[in-house]
Amino acid sequence: MRLAASADGNLTSQGDIRLADLDFGASISMLKNALDGAGLSHEAIANNIANVNTPHFRRTDVTFKEALAATEGTPPDPNQLAMAITNPADIDISGAASPQPYKPSVSVDSTTKMRVDGSNVDIDQEMAELAQNSGYSQTMAQLLQVQFMRLREGIQEHP
Amino acid sequence: MGFYSSIEISASGLSAERVAMDVIANNIANVNTTRTPQGGAFKRQLVVFAQKPDSTQATGADTTPSDAAGNGMAGVEAVGIVSDRSPDRLVYDPTNPEADGSGYVHMPNIEVVKEMVDMMAASRAYEANVSAIQEARAMGTAAMNLLKA
Repeated sequence: MRLAASADGNLTSQGDIRLADLDFGASISMLKNALDGAGLSHEAIANNIANVNTPHFRRTDVTFKEALAATEGTPPDPNQLAMAITNPADIDISGAASPQPYKPSVSVDSTTKMRVDGSNVDIDQEMAELAQNSGYSQTMAQLLQVQFMRLREGIQEHP
Repeated sequence: MGFYSSIEISASGLSAERVAMDVIANNIANVNTTRTPQGGAFKRQLVVFAQKPDSTQATGADTTPSDAAGNGMAGVEAVGIVSDRSPDRLVYDPTNPEADGSGYVHMPNIEVVKEMVDMMAASRAYEANVSAIQEARAMGTAAMNLLKA
């Protein structure tokens, strides 16, 4: 829920306001989404590792980086002349995309089959992904910490 | 949700692998057992792993996209212990009081080398789950450190 200015200029709330929904800047919400995605990804990897000895198990895959990029949208190409869209049937050729709501995708990988017991979990691959995802998450947390530090510096009064 | 559910998933892996280790240890301990309450030689036992059904349901529109509810990720469980149906190992020893009419002793269908290999696999899987918990903790700690900023 966001605060919206009504006609008389006063701030009115649409529903209840949660502190977590207050927007402190694009990078903070983006880093938050990145951490969320890494947490979900960790869950999938942990589930794959827990089921490493389960016959006929199919590994779960989480892709969130594409969804993260889509939240930004794509600006139109500055080197290309814009074409006006006058009809809903016109095709937009500028390559621009409007920002999408963040939605990481969870999918079951049923394509590959590599083990005699019908499971497609490769423990080495899962361990590598685990280390990579953990490093990514900790980097994002560090960056978020820097953002909060800057925010606090901005809030604090200086003598 | 979040870090706690992923630690729970890894914990389910730990307990399932521990059950597997118990079964393997029991097989090795009974490698020469010729008498059981059911009669006959001891039968090699195997543990059955199954994906844990996801009991949490997505509760309407209030769940965030990254909420794990309803993703089908709930870890693993050891759903049962079954007996290996392969035939008993027959050892010719007519002087043994356990020998049957034709002089063969029915020994358990256990091969110690096979059990050792299974134990190694269970042990490595256990370690992998421990690593997953450690990484989840490191990620959680990094998130908690945001409060110090």
